[in-house]
Amino acid sequence: MFRPSQAVLDVVGTLVRLGLAAVWLVSGSIKISDTGQTYLAVKAYDVLPGGLVHPVATALPLLELALGVLLLVGLVTRIAAVASAVLLVVFIAGVAQSWARGLTIDCGCFGGGGQVADGQTQYPQEIARDVGFLVLAGWLIVRSRTRLALDGWLGAGSARGDYVTEAERT
Amino acid sequence: MGGAERSARKRKQAQQRNAGARAVSQARGGGGNRRTIVAVVAVVVLAAVVIGGVIWTNSSKNSTEGQSITPQTASAALDTPDERQGATVVSGKADAKVKLDIYADFLCPYCGQLQQSFGQAIEDQIAAGTVQVTYHMIPLLNDRSDPPGYSMDSANAALCAADQGKFTSYHDSLFKSQPEEGQRGYDKTQLIKLGTDLGITSQDFTTCVNNSTYDSQLSDALTKISADPTFQGTPTILHNGQSVNWTDPNWLNNLVSQA
Repeated sequence: MFRPSQAVLDVVGTLVRLGLAAVWLVSGSIKISDTGQTYLAVKAYDVLPGGLVHPVATALPLLELALGVLLLVGLVTRIAAVASAVLLVVFIAGVAQSWARGLTIDCGCFGGGGQVADGQTQYPQEIARDVGFLVLAGWLIVRSRTRLALDGWLGAGSARGDYVTEAERT
Repeated sequence: MGGAERSARKRKQAQQRNAGARAVSQARGGGGNRRTIVAVVAVVVLAAVVIGGVIWTNSSKNSTEGQSITPQTASAALDTPDERQGATVVSGKADAKVKLDIYADFLCPYCGQLQQSFGQAIEDQIAAGTVQVTYHMIPLLNDRSDPPGYSMDSANAALCAADQGKFTSYHDSLFKSQPEEGQRGYDKTQLIKLGTDLGITSQDFTTCVNNSTYDSQLSDALTKISADPTFQGTPTILHNGQSVNWTDPNWLNNLVSQA
C-alpha cells in the first residue's frame, strides 16, 4: 500500500497550517475593520443575552487574529489547532441553530452578517465551508509537525512527541 | 608528565565534554533560553494584539462619544409650533397638492441616503407650498445601536424639538451626523445639546428628552405599522397610500408635475 513519506506529510501539514492561518487572519481582519457590522452579525444569531453581545463581538476578531498569528509562525500549533476546532464547532452550532429556528441571517463569517431577506440564506454552504476548515484543524491536531514552524525550531512539546512516535515507527 | 600539566588536560577534557553536551542539547532543539525568549515574545505580541484590538474596537465604535451633532439650518417657514400630531410631524400647507408620508428611522442608512439625496428638494417643495409631508419616526432599529436605544431616543427628541417648532432643522442635523449601525449613537445629553445649539431655550425640551415623553406613542406607531403587510421597512414614502419608488431620481418632480 502506498504510504506518503514523512517529508511529504510535513509539506502537506505546512500547507494546511498556513491555509488555516490565512483563514483566521482574513476573517479576523475583516471583522475588526468593521466593528459595527461585527456587532450586528453577532447579535443576529440571537443566542447571547444583550450584555454579552458587545464583549463577544469585541473578542471574536481578536481571537481569530491571535490564532492566525500562532498558526502562521507555527507556535504551539497543536493547541492553536484545538482552539480553532473548538471555535469552528461553535460557529457551526451557531449557524445550525439559526437554520433550525428559521432565522434569515448571513453567518458573517467573512465580514457582512446580520439579517438577510428570505431566500438569501446560505446555511448549507456556510456549514460545509466550516467543516472544511475543521478538517484542516483536525489534521494539525493529529499531526502537528510541519515545516517552517517555530515549534520545530524549538523542539517544543507537541512536535517532539511526533519525532518520537515517528522514530518508533521506523 | 607533571601534575600541573595533567590537571590542565583534565580541565580541557571537561570543557570538551560540556561543549559536546551543549551541542547535543542544541541539536535536540533544547536551549532553555531560546524557548524562554520565544515564549516571552509570543506572550508580548499576543497581549499587544488583544490590548491594541480592544482599544481600537472601542474607539472605532464610540466615535460619536464627546462629539457635538453639527446643527443644520432649515427655513423657518417649514415649522410651526403645532406641527407635532401624536407621534408624527406635519410640515407644509394643508392645501398642498402633493401629500406625502415619510417613514424613517434616524439610524437607518438608506433613510440617511434618502435625506441626503432628496431632503433639500423635499423641503424646497414644502416651502413652495406644493408638498405637505407627514414625518413618521419609526424606531425599527432600536436594538441596532451599541448600546441599544438610539432609534427611540432620537425619535423622541425629534418630537420634543417639534414641540418647540424646530423639527426640520433637528431632523436634518440628526441625519447629517448619522451614526453607523452597530455602533454608539448619541446619548440624551448630546441630543439635548443639539436642541440648545439650534436655539431651543425651553426647559420643557430637556425634560421631554430626558423623560422619554413620546416613547410609548412611538412604540405603538411601530407596532401598528409593523402589522401592515404593505410596509416594507424604512425608508418608505407613501403618496396617497401608494409606495413611491424614490430610487428614481425624478420621483418628486414627477409627483409635483402630475398633481
